[in-house]
Amino acid sequence: MNDIPLTWFLIFAAACFVIGLMGVLVRRNAIAVLMAIEIMLNAANINLVAFWRYGTPVEGDSPISGVMFAIFVITVAAAEVAVGIGLILLCYRRWHAADVDRFDSLSG
Amino acid sequence: MPVNAPVLFDFIHLAPEIILSLWGLFVVMIDVALLRRRSSATRGRILGVMSIIGALAALASIYLPDMMDLGHAASNVEESLFQGTILGGLLVERLTALLLILLIFVIALSTTWDLTEHWGEYYALLLWATVGMILLIASEELLTLFLTLEMMTICLYIVTAFEKDQRRSAEGGLKYFVYGSVSSALFLFGLSLLYGLTGTTRLAAIGLALAPAHTSIGLVGNVAGAMAVLLVLVGFGFKISAVPFHQWAPDAYEGAPAPVSAWLATGSKLASIVALMKVLVQALGPWAHGVNDISSPGWVGIVAVISALTMTYGNFAALAQKNLKRMLAYSSIAHAGYMLVGVLAVVVGAGKSAAGPVLFYLVVYSAANIGAFSIAAWLYRDKGTDQIEDLNGLGLKYPILGMCVLLLMLSLIGLPGLAGFWGKFFMFSEALSQGDDRHKLTFLWLVGLGLMNSVISAFYYVRVLRAMFLRPSTGRPLQAPTLTIRLAVIGSAAVALIFGLYPQPLSTETDAMAESRIFITPSRPAELLSVSPVRVVPRPNASDDTRLRAGPIGGGPSAPPEPTPVPDSRAK
Repeated sequence: MNDIPLTWFLIFAAACFVIGLMGVLVRRNAIAVLMAIEIMLNAANINLVAFWRYGTPVEGDSPISGVMFAIFVITVAAAEVAVGIGLILLCYRRWHAADVDRFDSLSG
Repeated sequence: MPVNAPVLFDFIHLAPEIILSLWGLFVVMIDVALLRRRSSATRGRILGVMSIIGALAALASIYLPDMMDLGHAASNVEESLFQGTILGGLLVERLTALLLILLIFVIALSTTWDLTEHWGEYYALLLWATVGMILLIASEELLTLFLTLEMMTICLYIVTAFEKDQRRSAEGGLKYFVYGSVSSALFLFGLSLLYGLTGTTRLAAIGLALAPAHTSIGLVGNVAGAMAVLLVLVGFGFKISAVPFHQWAPDAYEGAPAPVSAWLATGSKLASIVALMKVLVQALGPWAHGVNDISSPGWVGIVAVISALTMTYGNFAALAQKNLKRMLAYSSIAHAGYMLVGVLAVVVGAGKSAAGPVLFYLVVYSAANIGAFSIAAWLYRDKGTDQIEDLNGLGLKYPILGMCVLLLMLSLIGLPGLAGFWGKFFMFSEALSQGDDRHKLTFLWLVGLGLMNSVISAFYYVRVLRAMFLRPSTGRPLQAPTLTIRLAVIGSAAVALIFGLYPQPLSTETDAMAESRIFITPSRPAELLSVSPVRVVPRPNASDDTRLRAGPIGGGPSAPPEPTPVPDSRAK
């Protein structure tokens, strides 16, 4: 269990986070952006669970706050995807495209 | 695990939130079950009245703990509810009441025109977004903070895109969603680092765990800490639409139906600013800057730069706008910049509760924006657009409403004699009286910039007035406004005028609210670990004003011995 040091998890999470961020910045397709956001949220989840597993809770604090946090983040991510897909569909019907840089009627 | 009190007690304190959540479901069900065959306009009106009844019920239920004698003077004390995750007490009660009153106006404005067919869902989402805002103000822990922030914004993404036959509504909603969810992912990563560095999710415990980090070098060499601070600031910067995280705001405000824009500009911003203050002061206080050196790495410098950029950019961009809602969006960006100056003053003056002026400003700003956006709703109903030139001749045709808008715009500029002036005056003078000479220099710069920006802002607010009073009426004439528009405009103008002439009652109230412990950096374990009521907040009406202003924090007659706040840099 203790064979893998905490830093490995943190490096993995940071790498996921950067991949997600790059995806958001580089990809034009709205669905791909949504996927990239999910990767970023999961990176944070890895962090939370790793810190929970390797850390000691402060006295008077819940011993499972890290995993609880991660579970709720998964729920929030699901809600966010549902709303996001709905909005993308709504825009797709108007523009017949799912590229974020096509939606440019508002500016200034 | 600290266990607080009977669970029932906690639920009674949460009554407004519970009522609003259930009422939202109720409204949807009534819409689906009973109103199927009615026309869209009728359903909108019936459900609007029902939602207002729900909001009024929630408003009344704030005083439930007082009415049911629960053994101790319930709202004199700030309680930690649900094992230290949610705060109850004077600050939360008053802000809940404020949010609910604003919500009632927003719901009333929604009936102005037939903006959707799905009225049940629309009102339910407004109610649920409000639940998120109230809990965001009350949250005392990272998980509740994140959940409530998401609850608020996810509901707002949907209502922004609710006017489905309008292209700009869908586009505004999608842009709000993309920027919003990226920023909440960044925010969450920051929170996870914060949890890892301190081992706890409670804000006060984080502040305490970081206290040894309050050294002379600030954040130098602390890469993880710096990342956490930056990411948290990005998350909040987005929610309060601070430059450079503001790009969504003009598009979302312009695209959304006017009542929703009003709710974005007031409720969402109000809750986010309070939450930002809470997190910065309570949890991240030790990382503000190095001891004795405000210029050493820490978030005070970052927030100061963001504040300066935000007010300057917001005002200059507003100058170029032709659309009323878009102009108001940039003006709300600029106001966020002013408020960040106040937030900084709270941090530097930790323990002196400088938060009162910021709360005062938030009240005044929210009231003025409800009035301004109701004018946009009126324009859109009759003309189908909301350009500033559509206002031409309105002031002469409807003199009373014209005068009210005049008051609102002058109050937003900050002209003496109106509430907006006192808001800026209290906040800027509080900022100038904080800290030692080095702080003073920073604040002097910021306040000077703020005053200059107020002058610039006069130009675009006056453009609205010029269109209303000096231009002949053009295009399709405006029909008479509905009662809801009249009420919203006259009500918000009354707030601007009454609190402009008599700012004392409101400032006493906000100062009493600012005594809350969430605006104080926690300093010793005893304060933190006892979840029993920690501080006595004096009731404003039960005590004289001078003591509230000058006395020590929580220095009520029955106050327990007070923990002294962390000696700030200036003390050394």
